[in-house]
Amino acid sequence: MGKTTINIDYSICGESGKIDPRECTKCLKVCDPAVFIMHETIGMEDKQEDPYDPQDWRITPIWGSLCNRCFKCVDACPEHAINVKW
Amino acid sequence: MCQWCLKHGAGKKWYMNAKNYQADQISSEEDMVNYLEEQWMNFETVFIRKIMGFSSKNLGYKMQMPLIGKVLRWKAENMIHSEKDGRNPQRADGHFGQVIPLEDGKAILSELAAEPILCNYCMCRWMQRGEKEAVCLNFGALSGVLEKMPRFMPKERTNPIDREEAIEILEQNNKKGYIGSVWFQPVPYINAICSCESPECGGLTLRNNFDLKAVYKAEYIIDLDQDKCQGCKQCVAMCQFSAIRYIPSMDRVIIDYDKCFGCGVCRHACNNDALKLIPREEYPGFDGEY
Repeated sequence: MGKTTINIDYSICGESGKIDPRECTKCLKVCDPAVFIMHETIGMEDKQEDPYDPQDWRITPIWGSLCNRCFKCVDACPEHAINVKW
Repeated sequence: MCQWCLKHGAGKKWYMNAKNYQADQISSEEDMVNYLEEQWMNFETVFIRKIMGFSSKNLGYKMQMPLIGKVLRWKAENMIHSEKDGRNPQRADGHFGQVIPLEDGKAILSELAAEPILCNYCMCRWMQRGEKEAVCLNFGALSGVLEKMPRFMPKERTNPIDREEAIEILEQNNKKGYIGSVWFQPVPYINAICSCESPECGGLTLRNNFDLKAVYKAEYIIDLDQDKCQGCKQCVAMCQFSAIRYIPSMDRVIIDYDKCFGCGVCRHACNNDALKLIPREEYPGFDGEY
């Protein structure tokens, strides 16, 4: 299997989008090999007001090589923010 | 015994050495608290942080690259097992663990673990599935650090728990099928027993998919008594490592010893006493295969 690329549109889901991934978590739950991780955003530490309780979160498709190309995440995302290609 | 037992075990298994549970025996308590605070404030970002300029995003593809992939693997192993000064808490340098059976977990919790003991939400399940499940037992300096971070603290249980309660929680998790594991963070300080699940566990993901030794196999391995096995297949469903398989022609199960991590969770499903854990060194082919 060649390289799979999974992209998330952060203008929809994430710290500057309308979806807070902590409230949704649909892609995290639907993925059998658990390709996605949810994490507080980095590179914008000054934006995080309380480092002990960060409020800006996003999802990164971290283990792309484990993706089975089942497209369940694409179907599960309520705002169609995920795209999978190869 | 593994290399870490030889290094930090004082003649015993590394996690049976009482010194490794005392933060002030390893560095100053204050340094340890600062390190752990920085680590846990940023823990979900651990895989985004860079090794050699590469983040862990698509690590599987990166490690397949000729030459660079090999160097990257070597760097990652060094980072996971780092005992050097100047370790980076944001990358969780020196944070790795080993699978333990329930018996060893009970021994740790009844005597060795430093109080206060806290039961908090599993960070891995939160970051990989968005699930909050209070299954992790943390002790000593780490407990004080976690108390400050609301996302890891169950609302119904914010106070430290006693040793009996901790043992009961571990036993319940083990019977459910979660894998007991004990963790250095950072090596040689031991401050957590987790009840892990694959593939959610960050350590098991690295081990199972990329063969990085973020989690070592237990000091034990399973032994099946073929005469006692009645072929009920209950144990097959318990194994998180696909190490047990049912063979219809003989109406019993067989073990893939190479896959067995020695967690002993399958024993809870066996009503015929057919599964026993034996020390790994008693199994010549798998002695030293951690």
